[in-house]
Amino acid sequence: MRNLAALVFVGGLAFLLLVIFNQFDFAQAPMVIGQGILTDAPDRVGAANIVTAVVLGYRGIDTLGEISILFAASAAAGLVLGRRRADARRDPPGGFILRSGAALLFPLMLVVGFYIILHGHLTPGGGFQGGVILAAAFFLPLLARPETPVNHAGLSIVEGGAGAVFILTGLAALLQGGEFLQPLLDNGVLGELLSAGTLPLLYLAVGLKVGAELAGLMARLADVEVDEP
Amino acid sequence: MNTIVLTVVLPLLAAFVVPVLCRVSPLLGRLLGPLTLAYAILLTLQVWLGMEGKPFSIALGGFQPPLGINFYVDRLSLLFTFLTLVTSLLLWPWRNETEPRQYALTLLLAASACGLALSGDLFNIYVFYELISVASFGLAAGAAFAASLRYLILSGLGSVLVLCGIAIVYLQTGTLNLAQLSQLAPETLNTPLGMSAFALILLGVGVKGELFPVNSWVPEVYAAASSRVSGLLAGLVSKLAVLVIVRLLVLLFQQESALQLMLILGLLGAISGELAAWRAKDMNRMLAFSSIGQLGVIFIAFSIPGETGLFAGLALSLHHLLVKPALFLLAERWRGSLMGLRGAGLASPVAGGMFVLLALSLVGMPPLPGFWAKFLLFTGLAAQQSVIYQVALGVVLLSIVIEANYLFRVVMNLFQPAGDNSVAVITDHGWLNLGTTFLLSALLIAGMLFMGPLGAWLEGVAIQAADPVLYFDTVFPVSAIH
Repeated sequence: MRNLAALVFVGGLAFLLLVIFNQFDFAQAPMVIGQGILTDAPDRVGAANIVTAVVLGYRGIDTLGEISILFAASAAAGLVLGRRRADARRDPPGGFILRSGAALLFPLMLVVGFYIILHGHLTPGGGFQGGVILAAAFFLPLLARPETPVNHAGLSIVEGGAGAVFILTGLAALLQGGEFLQPLLDNGVLGELLSAGTLPLLYLAVGLKVGAELAGLMARLADVEVDEP
Repeated sequence: MNTIVLTVVLPLLAAFVVPVLCRVSPLLGRLLGPLTLAYAILLTLQVWLGMEGKPFSIALGGFQPPLGINFYVDRLSLLFTFLTLVTSLLLWPWRNETEPRQYALTLLLAASACGLALSGDLFNIYVFYELISVASFGLAAGAAFAASLRYLILSGLGSVLVLCGIAIVYLQTGTLNLAQLSQLAPETLNTPLGMSAFALILLGVGVKGELFPVNSWVPEVYAAASSRVSGLLAGLVSKLAVLVIVRLLVLLFQQESALQLMLILGLLGAISGELAAWRAKDMNRMLAFSSIGQLGVIFIAFSIPGETGLFAGLALSLHHLLVKPALFLLAERWRGSLMGLRGAGLASPVAGGMFVLLALSLVGMPPLPGFWAKFLLFTGLAAQQSVIYQVALGVVLLSIVIEANYLFRVVMNLFQPAGDNSVAVITDHGWLNLGTTFLLSALLIAGMLFMGPLGAWLEGVAIQAADPVLYFDTVFPVSAIH
């Protein structure tokens, strides 16, 4: 009976939203802000990837909020999942293929992750995407060898440090008489690796923070005690 | 002036750093949060004195609105920033010595609440709303895992609804800046579609505001979570949700139907909350249900059009923000069945006395501040022509009668001599909670003594906040428009 009620509710809500969004043409929003940013961004921010100009420039405080949400989620998960007993059972170690594959992939994934982070202001990608790849790189060995201890202290230092760097960069602009999170340094030449002022630094901080948080979160989830059958 | 952004940023910075600092030096880790909040309070007061009552807007990152995000600082947003910081400092988890995460989550909650009060951009508001959600169910889950699961699911549903509402607004107007929206709204959002956007946002944000159909998490979470967390959620987070809705009503949705929708949901919340509280068997649940009822009354107040509604709603909100956390702190010592409380007030007369004071103010006994807040609500409702406001008047009166009934039942119980079979539950959460409650009660008395100037000042805040033209002119000064 409860399931039926839930089904009716979900169906009704879906129908309602469908009717509402049917009123709009697909992907046809008025380009009031969009057009403004498209013309303004290349000279103003100097990032070849306009998405990055929006994420770290025009809406930088949103990004700060988003990495804080991730931080809050990982802190909350840590609070809930707690510590494991020393004698609790662990998953069995992975086989030969998983272990060698993990060892082989680890450096490659690191390179790809950092490449995507550092080129965030030039090509599609950036701190969030690259950070997830970094997290996956650190999680892979854990899948292959579940008994390896996770250095949560180190992760929390990277996490806190990266977040602090993001905010301190913003505060530096405030101290120099600008606004919080105003891009500093020279814009450089559009499309070069060292361009767009402090944006690459911010993206590096975001990438490290996202990577450390997700790695810690996945390690904690993998570390949850297995229920005895 | 632009130092006001530090009230959001510094608590965030402290939250990131505190888990690491706690490993290095536990003492510094414990002190960092309160010190940051105290410094932020100082900054808020500085800005307050500097602005001389004139609102201003700051463009974050130097990107001028509407392309960038701006913070809009008027008396209302500063008032709520100040209250946020003070409340989080008062309800700081002092006793928790082992878990730096608890500190971090409280700081994140404070930062996002300040962000909600200040932000002038619809999507930025969503980001801070999401942050306050995650931080608050993190805090709740620490004590009450099962209860907060329902909270998490409802919160998630609420977030999706808000996002859909924001998507509709963006599709209709092409911008997310509140000031620009306030100019476009009369043409673009005064439609059934605009109304549906408001309904979605109202329901979504209403999860935190304990609005009628989406509040089923409230009793379970408050019954199980620690009193400080309950105080933060009921006192602070719910008010910030209400503030967001009020801002949107003033700037974006000036239709009569929007106000009426909120009025009806508020009515249902008021009556259902008070009835459930009347039937509740233990203290925390009773307070939780009565909180739903009072939030319903606050929604009713804000649905009165114009400055009258804002004034009454603000007065009720401030009063609730003061009284509810204090009651939750007192309830910490009286957990468990209401029947088991016989004689508890005689055993600790100070706590019992404060409970009586707070309960009297909550019911609206003159000359306590609660009376004046309710008085504003009644005069506001009575001045409206429409029948539904007259009905609301009746419902509010009825809810006060119910509230008085169950609160006095508890008071009677507290001061009855203990029988043989009843045991007064007094846990040893002594002086810290009692001290905080005492401070809040003292503020209540001070509010009563300075009611005249306080009321006049609050009316000024309401008049300033009710003016969408002022909002637009502040964000887009005439000189800057080419």
